[in-house]
Amino acid sequence: MKNILLIGWRTLTRPSGYYSLGALVIGGFIAGIIFWGGFNTALEVTNTEKFCISCHEMENNVYEELKTTIHFTNRSGVRATCPDCHVPHNWTDKIARKMKASKEVWGAIFGTINTREKFLVQRKRLAQHEWERLKANDSLECRNCHNFDYMDFTEQSERAAYQHSTALASGEKTCIDCHKGIAHELPDMKGVEGW
Amino acid sequence: MKKINLAVIASLLMLAIAPMMFSLNASAADKNTVNSLATLRDSTPIDRQKEPNSIPKVVNKDIKQGRNYPMQPPVIPHTTRSYEVNLNNNKCMSCHSRHRTEKSQAPMVSVTHYMDRDGNFLADVSPRRYFCNQCHITQLDAEPLVENTFTDMHSLMKEKTATTEQH
Amino acid sequence: MTINRREFIKANAIAAAAAVAGVSVPAIASNLITSSDITKLKWDKAPCRFCGTGCSVNVGVMDGKVVATHGDIKSPVNKGLNCVKGYFLSKIMYGKDRLTTPLLRMTNGKYDKAGEFAPVSWDKAFDVMAEKAKDALKKDGPEALGMFGSGQWTVQEGYAAVKLMKAGFRTNNIDPNARHCMASAVGGFMRTFGIDEPMGCYDDLEAADAFVLWGSNMAEMHPILWTRLTDRRLSAPHVKVAVLSTFEHRSFDLADNGIVFTPQTDLAILNYIANYIIQTDRVNTDFVNKHTNFRLGETDIGYGLRPEHELEQRAKNNGETSGSSTPINFDEYAKFVSTYTLEYTAKLSGVPEHKLKALAELYADPKIKVTSFWTMGFNQHTRGVWANNLCYNIHLLTGKISEPGNSPFSLTGQPSACGTAREVGTFSHRLPADMVVKNPKHRAIAEKIWQLPEGTVPPKPGYHAVLQNRMLKDGKLNFYWVQCNNNMQAAANINEEAYPGYRNPKNFIVVSDPYPTVTAQAADLILPTAMWVEKEGVYGNAERRTQSWYQMVEAPNGAKSDLWQLVEFSKRFNVEDVWPEELIAKKPDVRGKTLFDVLYKDSAVGRFSLDEIPEDRLNHESRDFGFYIQKGLFEEYATFGRGHAHDLAPYDRYHQERGLRWPVVNGKETKWRFKEGSDPYAKPGSGWDFYGKPDGRAVIFALPYEPAAESPDEEYDLWLSTGRVLEHWHSGSMTQRVPELYKSMPDALVYMHPDDAKKRGMRRGDLVKLISRRGEVQTRVETRGRNKPPIGLVFMPWFDASRLLNKVTLDATDPLSKQTDYKKCAIKIVKV
Repeated sequence: MKNILLIGWRTLTRPSGYYSLGALVIGGFIAGIIFWGGFNTALEVTNTEKFCISCHEMENNVYEELKTTIHFTNRSGVRATCPDCHVPHNWTDKIARKMKASKEVWGAIFGTINTREKFLVQRKRLAQHEWERLKANDSLECRNCHNFDYMDFTEQSERAAYQHSTALASGEKTCIDCHKGIAHELPDMKGVEGW
Repeated sequence: MKKINLAVIASLLMLAIAPMMFSLNASAADKNTVNSLATLRDSTPIDRQKEPNSIPKVVNKDIKQGRNYPMQPPVIPHTTRSYEVNLNNNKCMSCHSRHRTEKSQAPMVSVTHYMDRDGNFLADVSPRRYFCNQCHITQLDAEPLVENTFTDMHSLMKEKTATTEQH
Repeated sequence: MTINRREFIKANAIAAAAAVAGVSVPAIASNLITSSDITKLKWDKAPCRFCGTGCSVNVGVMDGKVVATHGDIKSPVNKGLNCVKGYFLSKIMYGKDRLTTPLLRMTNGKYDKAGEFAPVSWDKAFDVMAEKAKDALKKDGPEALGMFGSGQWTVQEGYAAVKLMKAGFRTNNIDPNARHCMASAVGGFMRTFGIDEPMGCYDDLEAADAFVLWGSNMAEMHPILWTRLTDRRLSAPHVKVAVLSTFEHRSFDLADNGIVFTPQTDLAILNYIANYIIQTDRVNTDFVNKHTNFRLGETDIGYGLRPEHELEQRAKNNGETSGSSTPINFDEYAKFVSTYTLEYTAKLSGVPEHKLKALAELYADPKIKVTSFWTMGFNQHTRGVWANNLCYNIHLLTGKISEPGNSPFSLTGQPSACGTAREVGTFSHRLPADMVVKNPKHRAIAEKIWQLPEGTVPPKPGYHAVLQNRMLKDGKLNFYWVQCNNNMQAAANINEEAYPGYRNPKNFIVVSDPYPTVTAQAADLILPTAMWVEKEGVYGNAERRTQSWYQMVEAPNGAKSDLWQLVEFSKRFNVEDVWPEELIAKKPDVRGKTLFDVLYKDSAVGRFSLDEIPEDRLNHESRDFGFYIQKGLFEEYATFGRGHAHDLAPYDRYHQERGLRWPVVNGKETKWRFKEGSDPYAKPGSGWDFYGKPDGRAVIFALPYEPAAESPDEEYDLWLSTGRVLEHWHSGSMTQRVPELYKSMPDALVYMHPDDAKKRGMRRGDLVKLISRRGEVQTRVETRGRNKPPIGLVFMPWFDASRLLNKVTLDATDPLSKQTDYKKCAIKIVKV
């Protein structure tokens, strides 16, 4: 047993004597694809709603609240899943968000929000993170679906058309400024701008 | 013989069917008149049910509706789906409070809303008026089942001014 | 976007206004009418027509029409506020289908049960009615006559009806729809305190540190009390609100501790709190020793169903003894509740332990002043009286009672459930001022005040609301008069009881109503009725506040008030028609007189002349009968309670005041009863005096959790809870005719959890059938909105006349209070 391990170790540390560089490169490339594919697949698995609500903190709180909102059920049936709004689409942002998400895993393991009450205590802080992120990226995840350029104001209510054609058009406001609480219940809004 | 048989059968049939037809007519007439009373049931007999209409949409046109009298709380001319009014926040106030109306161009809550139980004006909307939805309601796109003959005081006054003019 | 919002709206408004008006130039110089004789409105006060809160409203009249209403700023109840229903009071009398002529089912000009409704004169209507009543009396005696009245009757109407039925026709078969509403609260009060109605008052709302809502959605059902509670909670941040219900509703919006529990387990939660108070050593021993007794109540008392029902066959103590109890001591009580541990209760109720504990602490902590509110969640309960008793237990154990902010407070549903149904005693077992027909002394008091011979009032309690429908079906109740309610829509299990009962060929059914309701549809004779400010009257609200109002407008030509109908009808009977000879012989001077003479005109009722009515006041009834009948009825009725802790002020004073809370002693109202210094009836030196009981002690009852009459099973797999909504008053007969209210809530939908809908392949808006063992009703699915039921329970309101939900419900009642449990039955839901 010891011998086998030793041989394996030596093989790995010694420069290749048997395989050509080309073979190694190709092999490495294929392994890379497989590895990268695996990583990405795994990453994408974490990017599904099913994964998100496998934690009861998510299922019983935010997901339960989502069910009655317009982002869950609406006339055309186009619905937003958790990652649509909460995970950036471009790669670097996505990885950055995932790194941050490791804290949520930590939270899940150690039960920092394992009751509704605990969750509610944290809700304002958690919501603020999301509002800040969306404010900073000009509501990018909203705009992935709700593209300003293609909005038909005549199909909107008078009130909505007015705000969109002025504040939103000028860039004075971004989606999240007005549409807080669009998919989940709001925290205590004391001191929040616009409230 | 055959002809007679047919005739007998036909007349028997007639005799059998006639009272049935009569009673059918009678009961239909009975039901109709009796139940024409039930205005809110669209004349449906009690032991039956009319198919429920589909859920009407909320009127979302933002056009102010007239008030029946000055003290009537205005109805809400837009949807309020997912608008929270609870311990955490009051969504209505994010447009209708005094310091938000300039931006929102929404009507400001009336001054009465700043008064406490004893009629003193507070610096902000009184908590007794916190739940807007106790007085202000949205309207669905549904046709009233019964007309209401309430008279607007304005039309009464107009009648009177018109008669004064004639004198 | 070239047109901005303001311009757009302005343009639209002008266009709309022009289109509606159709007039180009006003006839006067200015577009503002300024002449004071034209703009002047005649304002007067009246209590709101709707719920038991008893808000006062100002009613504006112009040219004989109500043209405006608003909250009365002088009223201590609502201080200028109204809920949305209250704000639309101006329109409730003006539905286009107001009834203006009696309608009788006829064929070829003659009464025929199978005939069609046709207009008849009041004379003819009363002729047929009297004939039918006399037939029933002759054939089967007074028990064949019955009346179903209302907590929306004025005090005078209820009193006139009690007198007509109990003394005139000598039957106790009179009951109010309040039986559906707060009979369990009455039972609770009588059992624990020996005297009816809350000890506290609305001033508790500004004094409490914590509020607990036990099965009461005040946000929708008592909106103005909710504004006061909200005011307190938000302006004093230390205040906490706990809300308990079997589903989440609007009151949860203000809840610090929102609790959704499995139906019926409120009984266990109440016992757990008592146990918690004892276990944490926070019993107010001094109070308990001085002011309470402990008793163990009878259990396994059945479900008030028909005797042949299997649940009744199985129940051990569903007979006469179901309300009995035996004395126990504190230790035995402590042992009794000790089984309701936190773990057991949490498991049974489905409520997390920390929530139960936080709730219990509100009661246990001696520093917290706690007010409990409840309405239909407790009262419409097969153990409703128990639930009331158990709630008093926790207030009594801690001595948190009869002080500002410390208050177990039973709210009432109807504007005069307290004033008319309870205080006047329009129940089948009651007489005015908490007296009962069973008690010979009480009957004697009534007979004396009524100046009638001994033995006039029958001793046997009559048919209560649910029993009336069963007796109609069984053909035992043959002449039946329904006033001021809509029981064909409101009673449970109408498929099996009410509908066959009303249509039973043996019976003659009279329905008095302003509008053609479902009940009117099922009647044989419909009497068009005047309503609210079309008559003078008195209402009594949930805090013992008695309020009066004057008639302000004329009723539509042909419509007459319930009072006029009752009294006018009494003219059709000579004493000889209704009383046996031996009774007449005891008071021979009644011979040859009509019931109108004996009960009203020649009694104390007739003693006030028309001169006492201000000349500018309308009063149709008095001017028709020749004496101030509303005052006469009120004053005679008030003699029952004066000097017996039910004191009312002189009638005229109520016209000046925004109501007064009884007992009114030496001209002063009483805010907190049973407390020395606040209640003139509490003995000096007593501290607290529960004088409703002979020894001045309230009772703490040991009563267990027992299961509901019907629970979901494999086939009928959902709980159904029914209830009301903010926008509509009860069955909607008034509010559905106000376009704004109709359009805000036109149809009754079934509120379901989205997962329950999904599991059944349903979505919002789907047409579905709610099916129970008794019947079915169709409606549409609502998966969002103001009510959020948990998985396994659905909620549907019953205001919708086109969707008769009570075809589905079960007529199981609390065997003690005879009140129906509308909150629990088992159904299934299928797609249509």
